[in-house]
Amino acid sequence: MTKRLPVFLLAILTLVMLLPFLWTVATSFKPLPEVNRYPPVWVSPSMSLQPYADMFFYLPFSRYTASSLIVATSATVLTLGAGSLAAFAFARFRFRWKKAFLLLFLLTQMLPGASVIVPLFQLLRAAGLYDTHAGLILVHTAVLLPFTIWLLHGFFSAIPTEVEDAALIDGCSRLEALRRVILPLALPGIGATALFAFLGSWNEFFFALILTTSDATRTIPVGIGLFVGEFEDVWNQMAAAAVLFSIPPLLLFAAMRKTFVRGLAAGALQ
Amino acid sequence: MRRSLPYLLLAPALLFTAFVLCYPLAQNLVNSVREVDLVHGPGRWNGLANYRHVFADREFWLALRNTAGYALGGTLMALGLGLALALLLDRTTAHSAPFVTCLLSLPWVISPVVAGFAWKWLLNDHFGILNAWLSAAGIVGPGTSWLGNPRTALLCVMAARAWQFYPFAMVMFLAGLESIPAEQYEAASVDGASALRRFLAITLPNLRPVSSVLLLLGIIWSFNDFTMVFVMTRGGPIDASMVLPVLVREFSFVHFDLGKGSALSIVIFAVLVLLSGLYLRVLAGRERA
Repeated sequence: MTKRLPVFLLAILTLVMLLPFLWTVATSFKPLPEVNRYPPVWVSPSMSLQPYADMFFYLPFSRYTASSLIVATSATVLTLGAGSLAAFAFARFRFRWKKAFLLLFLLTQMLPGASVIVPLFQLLRAAGLYDTHAGLILVHTAVLLPFTIWLLHGFFSAIPTEVEDAALIDGCSRLEALRRVILPLALPGIGATALFAFLGSWNEFFFALILTTSDATRTIPVGIGLFVGEFEDVWNQMAAAAVLFSIPPLLLFAAMRKTFVRGLAAGALQ
Repeated sequence: MRRSLPYLLLAPALLFTAFVLCYPLAQNLVNSVREVDLVHGPGRWNGLANYRHVFADREFWLALRNTAGYALGGTLMALGLGLALALLLDRTTAHSAPFVTCLLSLPWVISPVVAGFAWKWLLNDHFGILNAWLSAAGIVGPGTSWLGNPRTALLCVMAARAWQFYPFAMVMFLAGLESIPAEQYEAASVDGASALRRFLAITLPNLRPVSSVLLLLGIIWSFNDFTMVFVMTRGGPIDASMVLPVLVREFSFVHFDLGKGSALSIVIFAVLVLLSGLYLRVLAGRERA
């Protein structure tokens, strides 16, 4: 009994914790009359994939999906590019103000979005980047950079300097050593960092909401977040969008659980 | 060249950070002491008038109280839940434990917008499953509105926030539990300590460092959180769940008073600097210990 009890409790609690999401999943397969039925039911024979098709047809979710993919992919590439150069500097060089720079990146990670949003909005508008993918990509890149640098810094530092020294003796320059020796060795870590960055941009809501305004540039979270106020009668289509939108994060998490958890702990304990 | 190489390597990252974070923050300080509106841009300097407007605003104090309650309440709920689940997971030797940990992490992995949406639909007055069950059990009347009632709205958003944050606490607590040396428990068992006594004398003290980190991080993140409240209630009904980040948007992009919005965002920044300082001190203390 004493052995069974925790397992039993755990099973119940897990089910309770998944309840809000399961309810959305159930709704995403129901036709509208079933969604607006009182009292509500979990399953009905008329469940189908129709809400998923409707969502793409009646709501601008195909555009949102394209925007989300463009923004998250570009932000990931830019973040990784700038981030690995910076992380390489922190991991392998001694220079003046090194501590100050590290602290700067650490502090920007704490910076509330709300305390930069107004001037950022004005800046992007003045530069003609308001309501463009490019503008949002720039902002996401900057927001993701501190954490990316911090993760990569850890991965680079774990590679012994001897490997790199050998390359330098063979006549490589420092940058060639980065490209030919460090980057290939750190590839698994870089892959994990890329996933973090991608998800960070994919799930981001605040900046995406305020810095875009047209259907052509809005990302999926903005679509869902705004429609919740406007289209409350099509809960099934909204639920379908929410479920579909959650699949990439869930797949990535399942595939990379261990690294994810380590990165999670690392992010908190810097 | 050799000397400047590290700075060159840092340059791209610094440029991004400077343009998107440092410059706006500085600009915000400037904006906060002048009249700015969305159409005409920056106007006259007006000293501390924007700050006076913020502090004279009833809505600000309400939002401040709500934000503090939301951050503290949501975080404490999440920590309690995370600790309970971590303890259960730690006891479970079943092969499925990693899989269950994975399932339990779902609220943290999905987008905050989806989390907010799921809760809003769960709590829906007529067609949500929660009301169906509660009214079937005779606990509340049918059609009870949770998010439309000023007395319950903030509490619901807090619960949703706790739901989103508990997996993080759970994973951190689990790591903390695993790092407690088994000898401590063995020694206590030899001395005949009860399970409760072992929990109080060994488990809890060992989890203290991770708890303080989690508490502060949870408060910092929730203090900054815009998404959950915006998606679930937009700060309503009648400001009952209004929090500071949502209020910044309200001042700046709904009332178009960018000066007042800037002043408020500087106030938020000041609070965050205090909290971050505290957090860094706690971390430094950990490293020394």
